[in-house]
Amino acid sequence: MSNANLIILLSTLSTGLILGAIFALVAAGVTIVYGSIWMPNAANGQFFVLAALFGWTMTVGWGLSPWVAALLVIGLSVPLSYILEILLIRRFYDVPNRNISYFVLSLGITQILAGIYAITYGRWSDQFQLPPLVGGITLIGPFPIANNRLMVLAIALAILAALFILLRFHRYGRALRAVFQNREAATLRGVNVRAIYSLSFILGNAVIFAGGVLFALAYSFDLTVAWTMAITAFAIMIIGGPGSVLGAVVVGMVFGFTQAIVSIFASPTIAAFSYLGAMLLILLFKPSGVFAR
Amino acid sequence: MTAMPAENTPRGLAVHWPLAAFTVAAVLVPTLLSGNRYLAFVAGMTLLHILWATGMNLLYGYTGLMPLMFAGLAGISAYFVVNLTSIGWSFWLALPVGTLAASVAGTILGLPSLRLKGFYFTLCSLVIQTVITLGFVYFASITNGDTGISQIPRPSIPGGGELTGLGYEIVIAVMAAIGIAVLMLIVRSPFGRRLAAIREDDGLAETLGINVTYQKLAAFFIGSLYAGVGGALYAPYIGFISPRSFDVLISMNIWLMVAFGGRGTIWGPVFGAMLLAPIPFLLQDYYTVKDILYGVLIIAVTILMPGGLASGFRRKVPKAAVAQDIPARRLDPRRAA
Repeated sequence: MSNANLIILLSTLSTGLILGAIFALVAAGVTIVYGSIWMPNAANGQFFVLAALFGWTMTVGWGLSPWVAALLVIGLSVPLSYILEILLIRRFYDVPNRNISYFVLSLGITQILAGIYAITYGRWSDQFQLPPLVGGITLIGPFPIANNRLMVLAIALAILAALFILLRFHRYGRALRAVFQNREAATLRGVNVRAIYSLSFILGNAVIFAGGVLFALAYSFDLTVAWTMAITAFAIMIIGGPGSVLGAVVVGMVFGFTQAIVSIFASPTIAAFSYLGAMLLILLFKPSGVFAR
Repeated sequence: MTAMPAENTPRGLAVHWPLAAFTVAAVLVPTLLSGNRYLAFVAGMTLLHILWATGMNLLYGYTGLMPLMFAGLAGISAYFVVNLTSIGWSFWLALPVGTLAASVAGTILGLPSLRLKGFYFTLCSLVIQTVITLGFVYFASITNGDTGISQIPRPSIPGGGELTGLGYEIVIAVMAAIGIAVLMLIVRSPFGRRLAAIREDDGLAETLGINVTYQKLAAFFIGSLYAGVGGALYAPYIGFISPRSFDVLISMNIWLMVAFGGRGTIWGPVFGAMLLAPIPFLLQDYYTVKDILYGVLIIAVTILMPGGLASGFRRKVPKAAVAQDIPARRLDPRRAA
């Protein structure tokens, strides 16, 4: 294999891995919230961009170290989601067919946040770039990759692993999965379903925020990322099976690689067409998703 | 609950006077405002949104489907009309052709509603809307991509000259009035009652012998006609179209007009459109505030008044003859959202 081909291959691999890990994080966040409280959060893309913009303000505006900023942003998601949960989300916990109400509600939130970004950040800049976590470049064979992107990839994979361990082994994670599977049975086993609802909303959003701030650290971004991310996360959730974190991670990775490959050989629009087409097919023929239990 | 008891629907003049009043007002308002071209234009856009909201109302209010691809359908018609007129077609021939294209597209894209219900259909329609928007951007040879098409010529009048200003607003007003009249006829017809039955419970409607497939597709065909006529009139009226003119936000805005006014009533969405459609034009420089305002209203409608303004008014009317067999579910306001 010639050097040029090897470089293309490695660059596709690295982009695919980073994008895939970030897609997986956001889709996992969306699917945790949908699986527990039945809320299809269309505002996930706006939350994703919100995290990225907070990260930008903290590093570029206030001069904080990107490490501190990333931690602060993820920490900040907890009180913000909790306030949102108390104000809006909690009211619908007992409503049957609440997913459509939640969907509309999250579209409303999307529109508010998009409007706010347009009149605040949108006036300052088109393109936002954060300082890197670590400097330097590593050579993998002939292919140079920024250490910063490797670090982002490592952190994203570490967060995904932590999420899996939490869901599989920790008491709260097991209670959360019990609620995914059967609310009534979980209640009978002494699980406080409402507390789990709050917890999963906060956990899901924290994961989305982590995805947003990591994306901002690896790539420069603009405000249109929000809608693309929202639709992509939905596509991943539907194809992977709503409520299945494993499905979200696997399909998220597949989407990351698809995006990386298609962006090299065709246009990103073709990638978007292919996701949406796949999602429509799954919706029509197997709405429970590929990884449904 | 297959059909509303016939006694509940007003008949005769009681039905016709609001429509007559609307028609007169719709023609009079732009005429009175024609001294100020901008305000007359805002009135024209509002009437256009009334037409769109009425079509969305047929689908969302009366059939119980929430198609977020509505603006995309309007866009299909608009691009058809602009391209056909640019190759020399008369606008008056392009309008029905574009409308028909939107309707056929709407009927085909409505097919998923046969399998998917509630949230899943809405999500599907959102995906379809996104695909349509991406398509508008991608097929730049027809649509000129993100730049959009500007300086769209006004339609010519058969007698000679161009349809401009007040004449155009009166055409839109007449179309809006016809749209409302058609919806009134549909709602009072057996077809309308079958749609209401499907809205309440399509499984039950099927067991009652209603051909749900056919009715839903017919509803999509007719609802898309509204989108198509509106889109065809929109393009030359505003003189500029781009994929952003018909994106998901516009679909949400039209939906909000229906939900805010009161789904499933004739006049609720008309009032919703009258109140909401002028806002972005009147805000002018601060028009991005519109997104925030509409977003807040979406949340307010979902939480505080799922029945919209119309149900707020209706609550004051004493419920005299409510049939005994209306299921409690129907009165549950949360369901409406």
